[in-house]
Amino acid sequence: MHTSGHTQRASRTLTGLVGLVATGILLAGCATAESPEATEPVSGGTLTYASGDAEPTCLDPHVGGNYPQALVSTQYLESLVSRDEDGTIIPWLADSWTESADGLAWDFTLAADVSFTDGTPLDAAAVQANIAHIQDPETGSSTGYLALAKVTGTEAVSTNVVRLVLSEPDSALLESLSQPWLAIESPTALARSQDENCAAPVGTGPFQVEKWVQQESITLVRNKNYSSPPEDAGHTGPAYLDSIVWRFIPDSASRYAALQSGDADVIDNIQPDTIVQAEKSDTIVHLDAPRPGASNRIELNSGRAPFDDPLVREAFIRSANVDDAVTSLFHGTAERSYSALSSAEPLAVSGPDLFDYDPAAASDLLDSAGWTERDSDGYLVKDGERLTVDFPVSTNQSIPAEQSLFEQIQATAKETGFEVVLSPMDLSSWYTALGENDYDAVSAPYTKVGPDVLRILFHSDGIIPAPSGYFANHAQVNDPAIDALLTQAGQVTDAEERAALYADAQNMVLEGFYILPLFDQQNHYLLGTDVVGARALPTVSTPTFYDAWLK
Amino acid sequence: MAEVGRAAPVVRTARVVLGRLGGAVFVLWMVATLTFFAIRLIPGDPAEAILGGPGSQTSPEALAAVRAEYGLDQPVFVQYLAQLARLATGDLGRSYSLNQDVAPLLLGQLGGTLLLAVLALAVAWLLALGLATWSTRGGRFAWYLGSGLEIVAAALPHFWLATVLIVLFSVWLGWLPPISTSGVSGLVLPVLTLAVPLAGFLGQIMRESLLTALESPFVLSARARGEGERGVRWVHVIRHASLPAISLSGWAFGSLISGAVVVETIFARPGLGRTLLTAVTVRDVPVVVGAVLIVAVGYILMTLLTDLAQRIADPRLRAR
Repeated sequence: MHTSGHTQRASRTLTGLVGLVATGILLAGCATAESPEATEPVSGGTLTYASGDAEPTCLDPHVGGNYPQALVSTQYLESLVSRDEDGTIIPWLADSWTESADGLAWDFTLAADVSFTDGTPLDAAAVQANIAHIQDPETGSSTGYLALAKVTGTEAVSTNVVRLVLSEPDSALLESLSQPWLAIESPTALARSQDENCAAPVGTGPFQVEKWVQQESITLVRNKNYSSPPEDAGHTGPAYLDSIVWRFIPDSASRYAALQSGDADVIDNIQPDTIVQAEKSDTIVHLDAPRPGASNRIELNSGRAPFDDPLVREAFIRSANVDDAVTSLFHGTAERSYSALSSAEPLAVSGPDLFDYDPAAASDLLDSAGWTERDSDGYLVKDGERLTVDFPVSTNQSIPAEQSLFEQIQATAKETGFEVVLSPMDLSSWYTALGENDYDAVSAPYTKVGPDVLRILFHSDGIIPAPSGYFANHAQVNDPAIDALLTQAGQVTDAEERAALYADAQNMVLEGFYILPLFDQQNHYLLGTDVVGARALPTVSTPTFYDAWLK
Repeated sequence: MAEVGRAAPVVRTARVVLGRLGGAVFVLWMVATLTFFAIRLIPGDPAEAILGGPGSQTSPEALAAVRAEYGLDQPVFVQYLAQLARLATGDLGRSYSLNQDVAPLLLGQLGGTLLLAVLALAVAWLLALGLATWSTRGGRFAWYLGSGLEIVAAALPHFWLATVLIVLFSVWLGWLPPISTSGVSGLVLPVLTLAVPLAGFLGQIMRESLLTALESPFVLSARARGEGERGVRWVHVIRHASLPAISLSGWAFGSLISGAVVVETIFARPGLGRTLLTAVTVRDVPVVVGAVLIVAVGYILMTLLTDLAQRIADPRLRAR
């Protein structure tokens, strides 16, 4: 899940200029900025959120299921469970839950006296209707559908206890259910046509959809009867804000200007240079909320030459000077990662010693792998074949700074003798290149709550392309030992045992040099200092304005 | 007795219009064809775009269902013929990504873009006329200054100008919103962004023809009749000097629509340009073809209108 690319392309040229001028303005602004310390929350007011993501085509995140939908639906839909800052699953619409001894049935006791904003009560039947809606092929759910892969049925144990029946134990079930793509909607509303439900889904959240003028804005108003905050919320009762106006401003320079001029209170999709400017400001607050799931990493295709040779994979990693490039291109806004998982995941294992930049060692490794000759351009050659790394780059998914990082890696790897061929392409072409196995290296984000993302990315099942040609195991890791660890970890709900299994699997992936971790999947918000109490939900790091109020 | 072999001016004009209409149909067919193949022959899968776009983790069942629903499992040429048959009946089809019928969708967006283009054209004319008139009577310094300003204005890229205007008037002075609002204030910066570069082009051409006209014999004779400087300029010279600018306005309209793609994106204004850009990035063929067709129709109409306007402004053309 990621930002839409045209935003980034359109704004790349603009940010530099705005940067120059805006720095001066910001500095000037600091001198006059006053922030009287109000302590008690004040009710009322309208918050304007300006998103750089593409406008969703459907406001119901069951349909499709991407990040722009998650961002806005977090304001009006809620899930059965949530996750706190330590990564512990906490109650939300479900008060408590139990897993059967064989792990094939989970009973969820629902919070009492909760109603959807259309008056329909939250009960076992409502949850059943939601599971059925997500699993119905007519809905066209993708993210939610995959998350429920092991769920074969539901039962109403009583009016407020619902049972999920599984085909095999699922240690990721709670984490899956915490995601906004599996939010619980009013069954009455779901019974409407899909067009109607897409235009105004009905949930239990602190706000509700009042109107949606496509290509213009979504207006959300306070749910006066709100009674179901997650356990880690800052207060109880209705939200403080009267309403939220959700706008789509594709250009990042305009978005930042709107924040500075007060026409927007919160903006997302912030580029690194803008973060640096904003941090110098007294009137803007920076919220860094990396997305969960996988880290951003370069995946090396071990399914074909030259990266089918572990020595060549290690050599490529040794030849790439990532640290210096990250520091210079991200201006200190992104921290280097040495893990397959996001730092938001408590079970992430980091291997900082595995990814040293060492061109001399890289040359030795390539020597032992038989890459001994050089052609007239200075690239290594073996059996008449040049040491070429085809690297399709999705301009929709890689922000400009990340694309520049790939160019830096291309430059440093060339010194060792790798020819890295970067091919920027739009998303459809990029999917096609992957589907045709026409790549040696690739970088793709993957947002998911919990370490089960490792199974999706590194289990050999993930090499088999779906009919669409898409598959998630881009590194084409095909190791029965890793498969066994990931399958077992996906079924074991004992916390310690599960952590140990995932740690072993991660170590094998890291030590196999299948991936070159870069940094967490970046997710930054800028807020005006008049916005108090906003935070990112620790599930998929979407912002919630339930506790927020305006000074 | 009527002249033989020379039709009345009205008939001649009608013949020109009919000829243009035939050409227009051909142009529209070519536009639809080129757009369709340009966007479809790029490798890739619109079914992914239909299902939530970038990043949704698509299930194979959902993809197959979508392909069948939109006919994407058919060969490209069959899809082309089907699309052409639909277009011939005036049906622009249904958007892949927005899940709406294209015609009402685009017509709903057209108003905002037309308003922007018309206002920008009007402001550009005023700016160009003002600058050209002032610089041709203000002496050598004014001439150089006017000419310099026009060259600079004509060379300004929209995205740059928009950013500078936002920083100046929104961030710095706080007078105008950087993003579109319901009121008039939200229109000022987008209109200026489109108008200033166009004013540069129009101004350059107007000033040249103003100077030529001012040196023409008819100006001398007007002055000899005792016409004042104001009368000479505003009655005789302007009409003469505006001819090339009128013919340029047809082209200008097209450039305003393409400028609208940039301006609507930067100022977050709803409109045809922004819809087109979004549709291109998600491979929404029906919307792209529909939007390009509407722009092409606009282009053709403007060319026709400028032709007619020239015939009105210039009696010599009517005789041809």
